[in-house]
Formats: sequence, C-alpha cells, structure tokens
Amino acid sequence: MTPWAGSSSTPSLKGVNLVRTFGDGTARRAALQKVSMDLFPGQIVLLMGPSGSGKSTLLAILSGLLEPDTGQVLADDDGVLRDVWQMNGKEREHYRRKHTGFIFQGYNLFPALTARQQLEIVLKWGEGVSSGDARRRADDMLDKLGLAKNKHKKPAQLSGGEKQRVAIGRALVKNPSFMFADEPTSALDWENGQKVIELLRDAAHQRGASVLCVSHDHRILPFVDVYYHLDDGHLERRALPVE
Amino acid sequence: MSYALQTLWHERQRYASGVLAVTFSAVLIALQCGLLLGLFKITSIPVDNTTADLWVGSQEVPSVDLGKPIPESYISRVAGTPGVDKVELYVAHFANFTKPAGGTELCYLLGSSLNDDAAGAPVVLTREQRDALTMPNAIIVDESDVKRLGLDNPEGKAKINGKAVTLVGTVRGLKSLAAPWVLCSTSTARHLLGFLMPAEHVTYLLARCESPTRAKEVAAELQSQYGSEMGAYTSEEFSLRSRKYWLFRTKAGIAIGYAALLGLFVGAVITAQTLYSATAANAKEFAILLALGVPRWRISLMVLGQSFWVGVIGIAMAYPVCLGLKYAAKQVGADVDLRWEVLLGAAVVTIGMALISGVFALRSVRQIEPMTLLR
Repeated sequence: MTPWAGSSSTPSLKGVNLVRTFGDGTARRAALQKVSMDLFPGQIVLLMGPSGSGKSTLLAILSGLLEPDTGQVLADDDGVLRDVWQMNGKEREHYRRKHTGFIFQGYNLFPALTARQQLEIVLKWGEGVSSGDARRRADDMLDKLGLAKNKHKKPAQLSGGEKQRVAIGRALVKNPSFMFADEPTSALDWENGQKVIELLRDAAHQRGASVLCVSHDHRILPFVDVYYHLDDGHLERRALPVE
Repeated sequence: MSYALQTLWHERQRYASGVLAVTFSAVLIALQCGLLLGLFKITSIPVDNTTADLWVGSQEVPSVDLGKPIPESYISRVAGTPGVDKVELYVAHFANFTKPAGGTELCYLLGSSLNDDAAGAPVVLTREQRDALTMPNAIIVDESDVKRLGLDNPEGKAKINGKAVTLVGTVRGLKSLAAPWVLCSTSTARHLLGFLMPAEHVTYLLARCESPTRAKEVAAELQSQYGSEMGAYTSEEFSLRSRKYWLFRTKAGIAIGYAALLGLFVGAVITAQTLYSATAANAKEFAILLALGVPRWRISLMVLGQSFWVGVIGIAMAYPVCLGLKYAAKQVGADVDLRWEVLLGAAVVTIGMALISGVFALRSVRQIEPMTLLR
C-alpha cells in the first residue's frame, strides 16, 4: 500500500479543556480536569496511565460516546471542525458511522457469524452498502489482515490473535478517520499483540487515520508517534524513549 | 440466510424454550379449535350425511334439529322453481325413547325416503338396511348409542313416544352429542310422532338441484320469494348454520377461547423472556455496532426478525404434533377438524404473538450502551 502522504500540521480532532466528574456530593471525583489533546491525521498516539486515571473516560469523550461536563471536542467533518457534543443524537450517530472505528479489549464478535460477516454487517447496516460491495470490501480487508483463509470461520474456530484482527478489520473496513483502541493487546501474547499494534500503526501511517490507543503495555511505545500520560485527571505529553 | 436466522440456528439451545412456547401455543389453539369444530360437526350430521343439495324448512330455522313443521304443500313452490330436479319429504323431531329395561332418553327421529337415490337417507345406510327400515316402526341407531339406549339388552321392548319400535341394524359415523339420532322411514316417523307432527306437514323438504351452483341460486330465489314463511338453504349453508348456532348458543367457543388465550399468554411470556435474555447475551456485540454508528433500529429489526423466525419454526414444529394428536384422538373416537382455516389461523395468531414478544424484548436493545465496553 502507498503510504499516506497528507499533511499532519492541522489536528483532525481537538479535545479542549475537557472536564468530567463522576458521583455526587462527597463521592464526587474528577476523572478529567481541563484536559486538552490534539490528534493529527497519520499519527498513532498512545495514552498511558494508572488504572482509574481517566484514560477510558478521555477516549469515550473524544470518540463521541460520553458527554463531558464542560469543554469541546472539535472533529474534522469534511474539512470543517465541528463540536461533536453540540451535535444532536442523530448527527453524532452519523458522525460515528462516517468517521470512527473502535477496538476494545474484548473482541465482541458475534458467535454465529463468520469473519467475513462480522465486517459485512457494519457496512450493510451502517452505511447501507449492497451485499456484493460489502462482501468485496470485507474480503479485501481480511486479505490485508492475513485472514483470507479464515473468512468463513466463526469466532470459536479462531485464535485470540485472529479474533482481535477480525475486530480490527471490523473497525477499519469502513475506512474511518479516527480509530480508538482501548487496551487492544491486553488479552494477547506479545507476538499477537505486536501484530495488532503494527496494524494500528499501519492504519495511521498508510491510511492517514488518527489513532488513539489506550494501554498499560509499555512494549507498545516503540510503535507510536506520540505518547501521553494521564494521572489523576491531568494529562502530560511525554517524550518517547530513544531507541 | 439472514443474520437473525443464522444467530437463531447457532444459538438454538438458547432459543429452544421460545420455539417450544410457540409450538405449545399453536398446538393448543389449533387443537382446541379443531376439537370444537369436530364436536359441533355432530350437530349437522343429518345434513352432512345426506345427498340433498337444498334444505327447505321453517322460517329462519337456526339448526337442523330445531325445524318446526311446515305444510307439505310447499313442495309445489320448491318443485316449481327452475333448476330443481326432485323434491322429497323429511320428517324430523325430538321424541321420548323408553329403554327396554326401563328409563327414558330424549332422541331425535330422522324419517326420510329410503329408495336408492333418496336425498334424505344417510349415505351410510346399506341397501339391506334401507329395506329393513321400510318395515313399520323399524329403527336404526349409531352403534355408539346402542348401550346408551339400552338396546344391547335383548330382553324387553324399546318404545318411542310410547309406541314399540324394533332395532333392525346399526351404523357408524352418526354419533350424537345430546339426543341420539334415530333413523327411520317417513311413515314410521309420522306414526311415532303422532300429534307432534300435524297432518300434511313435514319438517323439511329436501331437493336435488341441477348443480351445487344452481342450488345456491334456487335457495336465494326461494328465500326472497317465500322468506316470510319458510327458510331455504343449500346443504353447506345449513350445515354451517347448525354448527354456528350450537357453538354460540352453548358458549363453548368462549370457554375454548379463554383456554387458547391462556396458552397464548404463557407462550408470549416465555418467548419474550427468551428473546430478551438472548438479546442481552449479545449486548456487547450489539454495543460495538452502536459505537460504530449502526442505528439502533437496525438492531431492533434483527430482534424482531428473530422473533418472526421463532414463530415460523414453532409453527413448523406444531403442525406435525397437531396431526399426530388428531390421529390419536381419532383412535378414541374424537374428531379433530383441522381444516386449513384452523391451521392458518393458529399460524397467524402465534406468529403475531411471537412478534409482539419481540417488541417486548426490544427493551433489552434500549438498554445497550457502547460505554459499557470501556473499562
């Protein structure tokens, strides 16, 4: 594949002064305290931090799944920066359909469907793609992920690494501008984990997607472009270790 | 294969209780209705077992056993209507049957012509039996009524309305519900009924027409011309009229309706719960789709698709069970009338029930939130 050759000087997604608290009264706890983060096209960003530091909360807010108390999430929607949390429900659903892909720690594949069908369903139900087109695009994606021989297999017939690759295929098949990955390698051995992180890096470097990866796994560091650390609701950009 | 059906098949153990609930409901409904129709077929036996195309009786006669005497002279009205081939007399009425060993039963006398092409003679009568019935006071009953009427006792003499009668044979297939049917000739019937049947009166005039279509036209014509004095019906109409009358009169339909409703309710609850838990079990997979921007209604549609297939598979399993039970019922002498209307009705009602259960199960779709996927 030809590497993505776009400009990365303008952020495609901007989180500005994001605040989010949970609980009431004395149990009230700030998960994010005026956090700002920019994601650029063609970059893979790693967000690390201790458990309960607010990593997943930040990912959920930036991806349009969780509303912040205050702050803005400005996303590039066909060249225009729009505040995701000023959109109505339908617009936000449309935005997610058009621009976002997700990978979670659990593979969450439908047990009854084949690898190919897991991808097809997103295209057919999400974008209304015809069966023929959905099949072609699903097969293309599975070929790229090295799963050509597994397209007719159901999750029970796949290994953990293969299942996570199918889950990545499901997120990538609609060619999203933003990829959000929450602990994508934690259920895998390092050999499979490395393959997964390489695929995410390819999504950024080859396709020009903005990839945000939340993880505890330090072995991912050599594969990312930017590294953030979140602790107690405060975000800090850190330098990548020198190889 | 649709994703809904594929999921159903893959997780068939999970969906089995829902499918069985639909099967149970469908069997219950079809069998109850079939039994009811089979049971009330008995009320139209005199009509269904004869070869008349047209029945002419008293005005607005509700059922074959409730005909009032009409003047014999009406025969000219019927015979004079174009399309009618032949007309004959039919004398029928309730009578008091005294058993040989004592005790009485109410019976229903059916006095008809007995020649080979008689329209009113039950088709089950053999040539010999027809001949035997021409003897004065000779009667024939269904073999299932022999014991009930005490005719299995060779001692003593049975009587109808106080007049001695002789059993000259038995038939099968003319089973009674309340009063046993007693077959005889018109002259025997007149003799036994005495003053209950006024002179030169009959209960019915039976006609054969050129064709069944013609019978409809003749019935309509007679009805429009003499509707204020007599009632004219094709045999199909009169049969249905008799069954409907007793069905509604006895309110048996309501009792059966309640039982079927209960079956439906139980089926609906189990199906709804099955679909709800099956959807909840796939909540994380559905949550992923929602996160990826798939509209919630698509997921709801899949759940409704599953409920539809649960209904279809349940029905497909119910039909052989119904037919098996119909056969079993026949072995013990009960008729289950599983006509296509009953089978189709049971299918429509139970698939409708499955779909409504699917709608109730949709609350599990409303509870799905992509946020639950994040730790």
